[in-house]
Amino acid sequence: MVLTSTFTPRNFREQSERASHDATLRAVLDHATRYFMGKRGAALEAFADRDTHFARARSARLTALSRLPDLLEQLERSASAAGTKVHWAADAAEGRAIVTGIAKGCGAKVVVKGKSMVTEEIALNPALEATGAEVWETDLGEFIVQLAGEPPSHIIAPCIHKSRADVAALFREKLGLADLSDSASIPELTLLARRALREKFLAADLGVTGVNMAVAESGSVILVENEGNIRMSTTCPPVHVAVMSLEKVVATLEDAADLLRVLPRSATGQKMSSYVSVLTGPRRADELDGAREAHLVILDNGRSEVLADPVLREALLCFRCGACLNSCPVYQTIGGHAYGSVYSGPIGALLSSLLLPAEDTRDLPFGCTMCGACKKTCPLGIDHPNLMLRLRERVCAGKPHFIGAAHAFLASHPLAYRLAVGAARAVDPRLDLLPRLPGLPSGLASFVESRQPPGLKSSFSAQLRAGRKKQGGA
Amino acid sequence: MRIQLMIPCLVEDCLPEIGLAAVSVLERLGCAVDHPQGQTCCGQMAFKTGDVAGARAQALHSLEIFADTGAVVCPSGSCTKMLRTYPQLFEPGTRDHARAVELAGRVSEFCEFVLALPGAPDFGGELKARAALHRSCQLDGSDAPQRLLSAVRGLTLLEPERPERCCGFGGLFSLQFPAVSESLLEDKASELLALDPDLLVSAEPSCLMNISGYLSRNGRMTGPGRALHVAQVLDLALNGALTGGALWS
Repeated sequence: MVLTSTFTPRNFREQSERASHDATLRAVLDHATRYFMGKRGAALEAFADRDTHFARARSARLTALSRLPDLLEQLERSASAAGTKVHWAADAAEGRAIVTGIAKGCGAKVVVKGKSMVTEEIALNPALEATGAEVWETDLGEFIVQLAGEPPSHIIAPCIHKSRADVAALFREKLGLADLSDSASIPELTLLARRALREKFLAADLGVTGVNMAVAESGSVILVENEGNIRMSTTCPPVHVAVMSLEKVVATLEDAADLLRVLPRSATGQKMSSYVSVLTGPRRADELDGAREAHLVILDNGRSEVLADPVLREALLCFRCGACLNSCPVYQTIGGHAYGSVYSGPIGALLSSLLLPAEDTRDLPFGCTMCGACKKTCPLGIDHPNLMLRLRERVCAGKPHFIGAAHAFLASHPLAYRLAVGAARAVDPRLDLLPRLPGLPSGLASFVESRQPPGLKSSFSAQLRAGRKKQGGA
Repeated sequence: MRIQLMIPCLVEDCLPEIGLAAVSVLERLGCAVDHPQGQTCCGQMAFKTGDVAGARAQALHSLEIFADTGAVVCPSGSCTKMLRTYPQLFEPGTRDHARAVELAGRVSEFCEFVLALPGAPDFGGELKARAALHRSCQLDGSDAPQRLLSAVRGLTLLEPERPERCCGFGGLFSLQFPAVSESLLEDKASELLALDPDLLVSAEPSCLMNISGYLSRNGRMTGPGRALHVAQVLDLALNGALTGGALWS
């Protein structure tokens, strides 16, 4: 797998095409996505009243979006009352400035991080490193991609693109374990990572995590994980900073519970993740553990604008279970890096298109066959294909692709349509010349190279007419 | 029962055999089939490439063509879906919106329509074959093709490991992302061929074109007539012949 620092959403098409030729990557993705889908399928099979729970979860998210400004203010009040310092970040730069400011303020030399997509979104690690601190990702998958110098390639499984042997080779080189064999087992590798990370937890001055949900009524931050590294990141260091994108707020603890019934089942096929932390403010006087100082950074970074769009705001319902990635045939084929931004797969193509500059993301909504597997999988009922179409409309903005425009013109003028098809039938019935027509996308040549086109035949209408005439005459 | 047949543009000019088989089956099952003149395209291509104005123009054209009340039947899931999408192209409260809603309410995909005819699903057809079905994501999870095929005597219905997984076509997608499209297609083709079928069957003409064109190009389609639309399978089973001839013959 290539280093991904050069991957951008602008080159999505090229990157996708290249990734689809990478047989190793495809095998790894195939194995991993099937594994996740299998676990998820079994969990949902055994989930009594599944549809009711899905509806409740969707309703909790809809409530949050429809009352967002009020809920965020309520969250600020209740979190502050619990002793958490609340910060507002309009964009990525402000988000970075706030967190690096806290790091400098507490003289942080070692920073441990829990897995968080939002801190990837604002490129926090390089900014923290620039303050002179060591920054350690403590989620096993994130730790692996950090050692490799790569971004994560899946929302919940950051190193989904790496095989066990890839990881062994990486640990050999980066952790100075010359004797480590390629056939080392996953428990062995995990233990090695654990050993390396324990020292960092104990030395850490600052813990930084994301947020799965923030509860407006109580000011609590909820974190869902399986490895215990997030719990350690929030309890070992004296200072904890939680960074949330603003749509992660929910109204009540009951709403949070409705979401927690669905999130782990959809993400990993678990009834509940191994750890769920509900953090309300810093350590109190009578408590033995927890951070002495708690911060909550609420990040906008383009989301307010998305909220203003009555259709596209639906993308903000997402609670990042990652199931749409696993179910998407395109993601299964190209993986996460090809998307060239933090968020990948169907929801990633939507979020990146909404949050990044339009000129960089033109191709993202087109990397979709409209098969609807994502929509069918989404426990919150997000209609990704419909949103994808809305984005295509925006990209196209009255200037349609000329093939589409020509087709649209002909199709609303039946006589011209028949003449055009008739001319093509006379000149090139087998459509051999098709890929060589000037101005047509180069993909057409590849299409015809790998697929025998059916050719233009005597039309259905003509054959039906002839047949009926014969019948009538007989 | 009188019905209006909607013929996808792909079928009209490239795969007419599918349309002819559909007519044969519908007539055999007692329907009087009208084929309104002037049909072009449902507007799906424009709609899916973001050209809503183009799609709207095509929708207006279809509204004219199928203005007569009564069932509209179409041997394609994706075109049927497009007709059902027309209402969202028009402002609610307008005359065109009302017409679009009215049309959307009376269009059926071929298999769904046949399955609702009296006597369904067992019309007494017989065909000795092992048929591998590609369900097609464009049918939105409809099980009508499976139910119709299961009722054909002598037919063994086979389904690939991931029956609803996309074949990689996706219209413009296959031109803009040809390598990704071909990867998906290869997955689909191998899963279907692993069933060792006599026939490859789908209710979606575009998927059928994609899959069988690929097998044909790569010398993996042993003999013409191996790839069939569900309408053609029913035609063979009920009438003992392929009215319009075989695809790729």
